[in-house]
Amino acid sequence: MLVLARKLNQNIVIDGRIIVRVLRVERDVVKLGIQAPTSIPVHRQEVYEEIQRSNKSALNTGPGSVPRLPDKP
Amino acid sequence: MKGAESNVVEQDVQETPRGVIQMPGGILGFEHVKKYVLLGSREEAPFMRLQMAENPDLSFLVIEPGYVADTYQPDISEAEVEGLGLTRAEDAWLLNIVTLHQDGHATVNLKGPVLINRNTLIAKQVVPLNAADYSLQHPLPLAAA
Repeated sequence: MLVLARKLNQNIVIDGRIIVRVLRVERDVVKLGIQAPTSIPVHRQEVYEEIQRSNKSALNTGPGSVPRLPDKP
Repeated sequence: MKGAESNVVEQDVQETPRGVIQMPGGILGFEHVKKYVLLGSREEAPFMRLQMAENPDLSFLVIEPGYVADTYQPDISEAEVEGLGLTRAEDAWLLNIVTLHQDGHATVNLKGPVLINRNTLIAKQVVPLNAADYSLQHPLPLAAA
């Protein structure tokens, strides 16, 4: 892993199109600003992983039947 | 972006867009799949199928959040809105992915909705800023068998 030291408001440029900026450092929390093209999704890893798992279990591999919702009153 | 969601509920479900929906970032976990077709039928309404354009056997069951969660107000960042080229609230179409579980119950993912620009048919699975307020497995109310 590449390790770079950065100060407040300094950036890292990745591939000429992704910019990561250190916005705030407070105790054990670092706030980062990330600028990336829309085609590059950026997520917190925990959220990314749980949504990814959910999507995988949601994938249907055939026509199947759909559930029926209760009638709206 | 608030307000954009509320009008989605009123949309006619049968009015599915014709054409291929482009998802440049894909669905999380399926990033390599960039093209989908959204299919709606009278039999399956209000559910629709987000089907992989190049692999029709594979699809996600989706539903408009209004059918499952009355108070759903995902706060979608300006960057996401701009990234999808959304300039008018009425172009924003929000769908949530449904999981059918082995034991017969069904849940809806409210944490990672799919946001479609109806006008350009470009879509993205977004993580709202207030995602922590919403369940990944929101129970789907089912009709008694």
